[in-house]
Amino acid sequence: MTTLEYCWLMLLMTIATFICRSFFLTLGSGVKLSPWVRHALQYAPATALAAILAPDLFLANGSMLPLISNLKLLSALCAALYFMLSRQMVGTIVFGMLCFTGLRIFLA
Amino acid sequence: MNPPNAAPISPQKSAFHEALLVGWQTGPGLFAWGMVTGMAMVQSGLSLWQALLMTFTVYAGSAQLAVLPLIAALAPASIIFLTAVLVNLRFVIFSAVIAPHFSHLPWYQRLVCGYFHVDMMLGVFPRRFPGPAHENREEKLGYFAGLVIPTWSSWQVGSVAGMLLASQIPSSWGIGFAGTLALLTITIPLIKNWAAVAGVGVAGAVSVLAIGWPFRLGLVMAIFAGIAAAMLVDHFTEDEA
Repeated sequence: MTTLEYCWLMLLMTIATFICRSFFLTLGSGVKLSPWVRHALQYAPATALAAILAPDLFLANGSMLPLISNLKLLSALCAALYFMLSRQMVGTIVFGMLCFTGLRIFLA
Repeated sequence: MNPPNAAPISPQKSAFHEALLVGWQTGPGLFAWGMVTGMAMVQSGLSLWQALLMTFTVYAGSAQLAVLPLIAALAPASIIFLTAVLVNLRFVIFSAVIAPHFSHLPWYQRLVCGYFHVDMMLGVFPRRFPGPAHENREEKLGYFAGLVIPTWSSWQVGSVAGMLLASQIPSSWGIGFAGTLALLTITIPLIKNWAAVAGVGVAGAVSVLAIGWPFRLGLVMAIFAGIAAAMLVDHFTEDEA
């Protein structure tokens, strides 16, 4: 691929980012969403995040791991508990990484 | 400390400072996630300047990861573009979440706001401004800008670090897991009623089952299935929310 071709490709991908991220923003006040749609959209963030998270936690290389040997899921459960008690984001990440690293070293 | 004639801090400025403090908490997660993406870009065969150009223009980690094998295989530009759009489809839904809050801005400002609206900011903004869209407009723009600066810079610094350190960090360390944990901490506060529990459960299950679908379309399907499940539970419990 030449330099120019690569630059064009990055321009296309940047346009893809803009189209999706700004889609309803640029339609602006021309679009009035019905109360039903707005109610549904309340749940969009939580479901989207769950949809991104779940494969990371349950799958390894595209297939389901047995629950007991799934170190990421075990660590994430511990981290979730830690977060619910502490409400600390950075602390939870550190705690979860420590759980994961500890389990990985001692159970491997 | 304040000189006696100091002007009172505007609501926009104080919202900006408030958001900076919140935003920096997403820093470690985004840094780690950016680092994984930076490493993947270089390891897929992109040169350093190609990887830099990609991260500073495209700024969409999941789409970047998805097109790397296509670029390496010299796939046609149309397929690469289509893949990027499809992987980014979830952002169309995200844009609808913040659109009512910014409908008063000129179009180019809305375009720019959209570009910087990434996964990590998703829960934070609606939680801070749960009221009607037309309220607190000054504060909202300041708050949004205050979130953009830490999220964008942590991601980019992590990304560049990943490119430079690609050959030095063993994948067994699982650095990417820090990004997963960061997402977890912004998901939990959003699960505030039984409808949300159902939505999260269904979305997670569908996403896992549909992982093999092309262009990560399973992700979009999972979001719609999750929203439908949440609406169904709301319908039967007649939650006042």
